[in-house]
Amino acid sequence: MSGTAAARVTAAVKVYGSGEVEVRALDEVTLGFETGRFTAIMGPSGSGKSTLMHCAAGLDTLTSGQAHIGGTELGSLSDKKLTVLRRERVGFVFQAFNLLPTLTVAENITLPQDLAGSRVDQEWTEALIDVVGLGDRLRHRPSELSGGQQQRVAVARALASRPEVVFADEPTGNLDSRSGEEVLGLLGRAVHEMGRTVVMVTHDPVAAAHADEVVFLADGRLSGRMPQPTAERVLDQLKSYDRAEAAR
Amino acid sequence: MSADSRAGASAGGSARTALRISLASLRTHRRRFAGTFSAVLLGVAFLTGTLVMGDTLRAGFDTLFGNATSGTDAVVRTEGVITTSDDAMGTRGPLRTAASLRAVRGTPGVAAAEPSIEGAGQLVGAGGQPVGGKGPPTTAGNWIHDKELNPYELARGRAPRASGEAVVNEGAAESGKLKIGDVTTLRTPDPVRVKIVGLATFGGESGMGKATFTGLTRADAEKYLMPEPGMAASIRVRAEDGTSQGQLAERLEAALPKGVEAVTGDEAAEENSENVSGQFLTLFTSMLLVFSGIALLVAVFSIHNTFAIVVAQRTRENALLRALGASRRQVLGTTLGEAAAVGAVASAVGLAAGIGMAAGLQALFPAIGFPFPEEVLVIKGLSLLLPLGAGLVVCLGSALLPAVRAGRTAPLAALRETAAEHSRVSRVRAAVGVVLGAAGAGLTVLGAASGSRSVTLTASGAVAVLAAFVVLGPVAAALAVRVAGRPVARLRGTVGALAQRNALRSPKRTAATAGALMIGVAVVTLFTVFASSLKAMMDETVSRNFAGDVAVSTPGFGAGGSGLSPRLAPAVQRLPEVDTALGLGKGVARVNGVGQELTVTDPAALPRVLHLGEVDGSLTGLGAHGMAVSRSEAADHGWRPGSTATLAFTDGTEERFTVRAVYETSELTGDYVITHRAWAPHRTQDTDSLLAVSFEDGVSQAAGEAAVERVAERYGEPDVQTREEYAQSSAAGIDMMLTLVYALLGLAVLIALLGIANTLTLAVYERTRELGLLRSVGQTRGQLRAMVRWESVLVAAFGTAGGLGLGAFLGWALVRATDSRGVSVFSLPPLQLTAVAMAGVLAGLLAGWRPARRAARLDVLRAVAA
Repeated sequence: MSGTAAARVTAAVKVYGSGEVEVRALDEVTLGFETGRFTAIMGPSGSGKSTLMHCAAGLDTLTSGQAHIGGTELGSLSDKKLTVLRRERVGFVFQAFNLLPTLTVAENITLPQDLAGSRVDQEWTEALIDVVGLGDRLRHRPSELSGGQQQRVAVARALASRPEVVFADEPTGNLDSRSGEEVLGLLGRAVHEMGRTVVMVTHDPVAAAHADEVVFLADGRLSGRMPQPTAERVLDQLKSYDRAEAAR
Repeated sequence: MSADSRAGASAGGSARTALRISLASLRTHRRRFAGTFSAVLLGVAFLTGTLVMGDTLRAGFDTLFGNATSGTDAVVRTEGVITTSDDAMGTRGPLRTAASLRAVRGTPGVAAAEPSIEGAGQLVGAGGQPVGGKGPPTTAGNWIHDKELNPYELARGRAPRASGEAVVNEGAAESGKLKIGDVTTLRTPDPVRVKIVGLATFGGESGMGKATFTGLTRADAEKYLMPEPGMAASIRVRAEDGTSQGQLAERLEAALPKGVEAVTGDEAAEENSENVSGQFLTLFTSMLLVFSGIALLVAVFSIHNTFAIVVAQRTRENALLRALGASRRQVLGTTLGEAAAVGAVASAVGLAAGIGMAAGLQALFPAIGFPFPEEVLVIKGLSLLLPLGAGLVVCLGSALLPAVRAGRTAPLAALRETAAEHSRVSRVRAAVGVVLGAAGAGLTVLGAASGSRSVTLTASGAVAVLAAFVVLGPVAAALAVRVAGRPVARLRGTVGALAQRNALRSPKRTAATAGALMIGVAVVTLFTVFASSLKAMMDETVSRNFAGDVAVSTPGFGAGGSGLSPRLAPAVQRLPEVDTALGLGKGVARVNGVGQELTVTDPAALPRVLHLGEVDGSLTGLGAHGMAVSRSEAADHGWRPGSTATLAFTDGTEERFTVRAVYETSELTGDYVITHRAWAPHRTQDTDSLLAVSFEDGVSQAAGEAAVERVAERYGEPDVQTREEYAQSSAAGIDMMLTLVYALLGLAVLIALLGIANTLTLAVYERTRELGLLRSVGQTRGQLRAMVRWESVLVAAFGTAGGLGLGAFLGWALVRATDSRGVSVFSLPPLQLTAVAMAGVLAGLLAGWRPARRAARLDVLRAVAA
């Protein structure tokens, strides 16, 4: 199983602060994200879902345990190597502020490759632009696009370097339901039609239902997994956590 | 409206709230105001230091002269003093001692009276080098035996008794490595052998500043320093106990012959002190004040910029305040309160730093061999109030517009996602700028073209051009960054392109940031161009006017040195290699009531060594009452050959002179030429200031030079120079001044760089999320640092380019406007200007260093999550 994981964490612990204010955001989490799958991470606020994603993606470092992208252990990498890894092997979609306001749509999409100074795969990029449906907006600035369009550009940017894994942090958090649906549809196509791997943090059961599997976190621990999720089942699961929380 | 009036009702409470918010915001964002703080601090410190140092020096000189002349109750001297435009101190004619001394000694209340002979005399040190003379005067006189009347005090050895004996001041002895018993040469300017028999102090110090003094016997002093025996510069008088200085002067005045006056000792001391402190110090301090003004002007730019950015970044905060019921005035007050707090603290620290600087300099003076009376620092109220006021006004004035803008924030802006860093360049701005610039340039060119009579025209044009540069800044910034950024983008790929786009985001901000550097660079360029043009002009003057083969002149400039021996010219003339050796001496006279410098020489020989251009009339046979004048003077007075004018001399005599010739070029010749015979009755100490020599046909330059040098050796070894060397040596003083100016402008440039660094720091703060995004999608720390540094370089390059252009244009205008004779030369020194350009760009790199490092140290995740 772990051999086919695009990204995984092993016995991951993340502690913020120390002494009385110590917070264990991640507590011995072991989890793999399989290649070619769309995984959603869910959980109540403070459950550690964003921390898990940041550590798995090499944006943050673990207090103990290991994080791998493919066969590379992240803890041993220098800042520079980590940066290059993010640039070449990982894609990101954030909740907001995904694009540089000074660059055009086209320049934003190829930014990671431009930073690397590597050749841009024209065919692949054009195909991506086709898929996200922004062919007529390439010379526009982000401020001239709607929120949904901006997130679609972000998805294209995340996929442009054919990364091993794309991490999306609440990618639909700021969008209306129709735009959100479009972005989620794009992420789904990336996995099922282009063979990419996507890991998405969300608090929205409807968004989570687009994934192949939902992973639930509570209090920094893995608390459950749900293959083939639907919005109703996810919602029920979350409610059960809330009841457990209330009972305690 | 109603909110404003209600706020007015509880003005005290609202002001307190505004102040509390200002202080809280200052505490939170201390870093943002670091640039403002340092700019004000530096400006205020420099201003304070200048004022305190100036007052302290002035007081020091006053004490020095007061101590030295405290025993002199009255000074008797001739009335006639002639000042010229070059010499405000003036020349006073010598006194016939015998008659006046008799009158003085016969006056009741006089305890003692001694003649005082003063002239120029340069000592030669033990190593054969002249002592002093690079600015401060080299003086010689008679050693006055009455201790009270002699400003110098014998410290060691004895007074001169026999001819050839001399007392020198300790400072001169030390720098010339001379000691009692040594025999050396005193150039008066004729070399005189003197044996040092004593060392003297002045007012308790080793000398009067760096001036040197040699005291001779009265007979020697009369012989070498006065036109004839029995003369002196003045008579020093001491009163008997019970007679006041005023009474003494009054009684003397009544007893003295016509044309001779008496002033009190205090007055004379004040005049002397004024001659040193009043002229040198006033010039020096006003120059320093001008440069602190420039530094503060530059500070205005960077402070204004800081506040503009801070207000823009705080739009949502201010809008929230407004939405919650804060009045416009309260929001405005909050920003002004911050400015006032920063200004007050920075000014206070600046005051302390300035006083510390002055104290440090004071301590440094004795260390560099400049004797100075042990004095406490003189700190006048004005020296504190002026810098403090300047600091506050600069700070508040710069923050005023941004504060007004803050007050105008609409409450709704709290709800909008507004980009702080965004501005467009309006067409109106471009149009206003172009019109202003064209008008300014037009005025400047018009003023410059019509010469010195329209300096005000040029100056107002220059101010308009400066204003146009400020107005057009944003327009030009966008264009310049686009052009300059292209090679950067090509060179550094995405990093370069990002840097360029960042600099382009807000052309207004880029222009304001670069504006500070632009002014600094413009002033540097202005001085560089002006100095280079002056040098070129001197060079051209020499090549246009000097027809001889070598020139002999004394080294140094200003009051130092003692001129050339008048016997040098005849001695050189006797050489077989020499065709003509002509000495040019200087005299003064009041021509039709206006003090003028005269050139005393042999007019008939003049055309053989100097080019005079077209000459009307004849230069031969001018005699005792003929003169030659320049074309421009002749035109001013309406003279033609045959016209007459009255010349009044320092000895009180007036004579009618006839214009015999009018010549064209006057740069080396001067405006008035008279013969030795005409000058002889009125002369003081005989010296030539220039010896122009032309060789016989067939004599090589080397052979001629060697021959002249051999003769010059016997007359104090003055410099024998070829034309080129002569031209260069006349420009040596300019280089010295330029170095000083550069050092002083360093402060303004430093403040400008702090401004750039500060703006970048603010920008980094503002772009935190963006930088986080860049880092998360794969920008390395190195790339991020490079991006910030390149932005800094682009901004600096824009400022430098603007400054070079502005400075060169204003330099051209200054050269033309100060040219009254139409002989100016405009020269752009390519080497220096390239150096200035490179320094500007390098400075940009330096200014970007810290902000770049700080940006690279950003925690990626925090930035993204922010």
